[in-house]
Amino acid sequence: MSLNGKKPVAIIGGGLAGLTAAAQLRRHGAPFVLYEAGPKIAGLAMTFSDGDGFSYDFGAHFITNRLAAAIGIGSKCRTVRYYGETVFMDGRTYGYPFGLMRVPRFAFKGVVAKAAAFKKGNAPQSAAEWYRRNYGSAMADEVAIPLTEAWSGVAADKLSPAVGDSLPGSISRTIMLKLASRLTRRAVACGYSREMPETPNVWHVYPEGGLGLLCQRLASGLEEDIKLESPVEEILVEDGRVVAVRAKGFEQEVSAVVSTAPRHILAKLVKGTDALQPLSRFRYRPMVFVNMRFQGRGLLPDVVIWTPENKYPFFRLTETPLSMPWLAPEGKTLITVDIGCNVGDETWSMDEEQLGEFCLGHLEDMIPNARQKYLGCRVLRTPIAYPVFLNEYEADRQRFELSTGVEGLYSIGRNGEFSHIFMEDVYWRTMKRTRQLVASLDR
Amino acid sequence: MSAPSSHSKFMAVTFKVNEQAAPAPVVPQFVEEKASLSLESVGCCICETDDAEPLGVGEDFEYNTSPETFLAMRCRQCSLVYLNPRPSLADLDCIYPENYHAFQFSEEHYGLVYKVRRRLESRRALSWCKGLDEDARILDVGCGDGFHLSLLREFGRPGWRLEGVDNSQRAVEMAARSNLLVHHGSVEHLDLPLAAYDLAFLIQTIEHVGDPPGILKAVLKLLKPGGRVVIVTDNTDSLDFKMFKGRHWGGYHFPRHWNLFNPKTIKALAEKVGFEVESLKTVVSPVNWVYSIRNTLMDMGAPRWMTNRFSLESTVSLSAFTAFDMLHQLAGKGALMRAILKRPV
Ligand SMILES: Cc1cc2nc3c(=O)[nH]c(=O)nc-3n(C[C@H](O)[C@H](O)[C@H](O)COP(=O)(O)OP(=O)(O)OC[C@H]3O[C@@H](n4cnc5c(N)ncnc54)[C@H](O)[C@@H]3O)c2cc1C
Ligand SMILES: [Zn+2]
Repeated sequence: MSLNGKKPVAIIGGGLAGLTAAAQLRRHGAPFVLYEAGPKIAGLAMTFSDGDGFSYDFGAHFITNRLAAAIGIGSKCRTVRYYGETVFMDGRTYGYPFGLMRVPRFAFKGVVAKAAAFKKGNAPQSAAEWYRRNYGSAMADEVAIPLTEAWSGVAADKLSPAVGDSLPGSISRTIMLKLASRLTRRAVACGYSREMPETPNVWHVYPEGGLGLLCQRLASGLEEDIKLESPVEEILVEDGRVVAVRAKGFEQEVSAVVSTAPRHILAKLVKGTDALQPLSRFRYRPMVFVNMRFQGRGLLPDVVIWTPENKYPFFRLTETPLSMPWLAPEGKTLITVDIGCNVGDETWSMDEEQLGEFCLGHLEDMIPNARQKYLGCRVLRTPIAYPVFLNEYEADRQRFELSTGVEGLYSIGRNGEFSHIFMEDVYWRTMKRTRQLVASLDR
Repeated sequence: MSAPSSHSKFMAVTFKVNEQAAPAPVVPQFVEEKASLSLESVGCCICETDDAEPLGVGEDFEYNTSPETFLAMRCRQCSLVYLNPRPSLADLDCIYPENYHAFQFSEEHYGLVYKVRRRLESRRALSWCKGLDEDARILDVGCGDGFHLSLLREFGRPGWRLEGVDNSQRAVEMAARSNLLVHHGSVEHLDLPLAAYDLAFLIQTIEHVGDPPGILKAVLKLLKPGGRVVIVTDNTDSLDFKMFKGRHWGGYHFPRHWNLFNPKTIKALAEKVGFEVESLKTVVSPVNWVYSIRNTLMDMGAPRWMTNRFSLESTVSLSAFTAFDMLHQLAGKGALMRAILKRPV
């Protein structure tokens, strides 16, 4: 980094957002220092391997060929041929969206709801209302609301209607994309990009060796300015403007700060202003991902299975090798079980063996002889899987969506923006924000 | 990682669960294939910003020179379409293979099409030379194998001094074989005489270069005051572009067309460099239509006999789409664009 007397931009976090910002600042010749708390880059976009031929991500991850092209790793990616979602209820499966549409009570009430919503002008007051209004009461009460409550850990009438607004795509677009997918035998992305339009030309790919490649490519050439195991402890603000950060006890004067840390953490880091206090109430849903190894393939009826019934402790199962066969050795498979929880609760505290047992008990409904096929599991946990849009801080959420209110302080990325966005969204949004930052530095 | 502050606890939880059992993060490893390119990120050459949206994702459908996926972006400020990221200069030998058509556009290969194109192009080229002096000096920038220069030699005035520039060694050798004077290198770096040329051409060249303003600036200096440059390039303000821009548009020519213009952006480019726009028209061409359809078919895995119907060797589809593009030309939306720019006196 050649500073030429210029103060650097501090970037907090070496995940996709932080590294995208770093690469763009480098391109513009703006000096920066990137601080990563952990010993490795990539954050949520990390892939893990067992050494026995299985590999898995934080949850299951699907990226697009457009993101791969933008980052320049297209030649290292394989095309994903198939992706599908299915809802499992009353021991039966309903493909999304066609299978659900065929259920008369869903279809009928959905149409009624749409018509009613058309007449009624006033906006829905909660996520629950939003779902009933947009999907009809049957679909809302049996599918959408239980799923939302399972991942968020909060009753849907306490959640903001913005949860619904952030769901992707219209039904006609979904149908068009699903048909294109069948026609082209490519897993056309549907619900994985909001920032840029989804089209039949945008499909899922997977990098050889894992998702980590995205961040690795972004970081190449920037190594000198990336500081690992360096959690930023304080962001110093004077007169409403960021002036410095402190990491490992060392204070660095800065021209701006780009934070990708979760918002409630950011609120704690900032010293010298109360402006960010409201952010300390923002909540993220912790999650445990149990990656279960099995003998066989195609144990689930689809790649992603949604389980809205609350007899299940999990809300989603993903058999990633149905999309990405290379994630498990031949003749074996991997099922990722997503369980919402709270830090320190019973689920969070169970050890690997217990969690495996716990999940097996419930999987036997769906997978005959699951126990005989079971080969063991690996568990990943994160306290910050999903931002939870509580109605109680909805006004603050909207206010902080636009800016942090502190000059020179940018909060970006999935957790930094407190938004249910995907990797491609993170990329384009970060490009945009960094562009604004560069322009303000030039001024 | 052990700073005892509140947030480092969160960090520790994320990354250090199950200390003993934590699986190892994967360090991606792969065998370097021969053709991975070293891609570079760029911005809009006109606005000098990178405020752009992704428009088309595609591959090298025509020559399959690398397994890379490419992205065409559109500048939100000026609407220039450009490849980003794009191959580095070190990749040029890889992305322009031996059998590249600019090196192989010969009578043996293309037969009737070659003859028709010669006839047509000589008429066009001569019309740009109208009013030139007996001893005019003409420079064809990006002359390839010298196709246009040889037309002017054959059909133009005997006193004209014809020169070409190309930075492909192969092209220069081929042009030399037909006894044409071709300088090897790029106009910005060659030591050509300043204010010496009456007319310059950039025929389907500007879309291939990394720095269009740089090239044009160099051309401006080489031209006499009042001298002109004729630019022919693909037009993104056309129906073929609109229909195929998501992936298969022939004009993308992934990854060899780095900047793609419309009348508005070509004008902005000219003005940025200091040229006056003397005329700006669209031109009929079947090529992007034919290639857009060919790319679509290839991508869908259509059989060879079918894709072969859509190529530069196929007289039928070329004629059909020439006729079709003529209709668009009437509306000012032909598939190519021709700009005549003048160095101010
Ligand atoms: C379960 C799950 C499934 C998902 N599935 C998909 C999918 O299929 N497709 C898709 O496109 N996206 C998916 N996503 C979203 C995607 O993972 C994220 O959008 C993306 O990885 C976020 O990147 P980021 O850089 O914003 O944040 P992170 O990856 O969280 O990076 C933030 C980094 O900041 C560091 N940090 C935090 N605080 C500090 C501090 N004080 N000092 C220094 N460093 C700090 C952290 O250690 C971390 O490395 C999924 C997300 C989850 C949770
Ligand atoms: Zn521009």
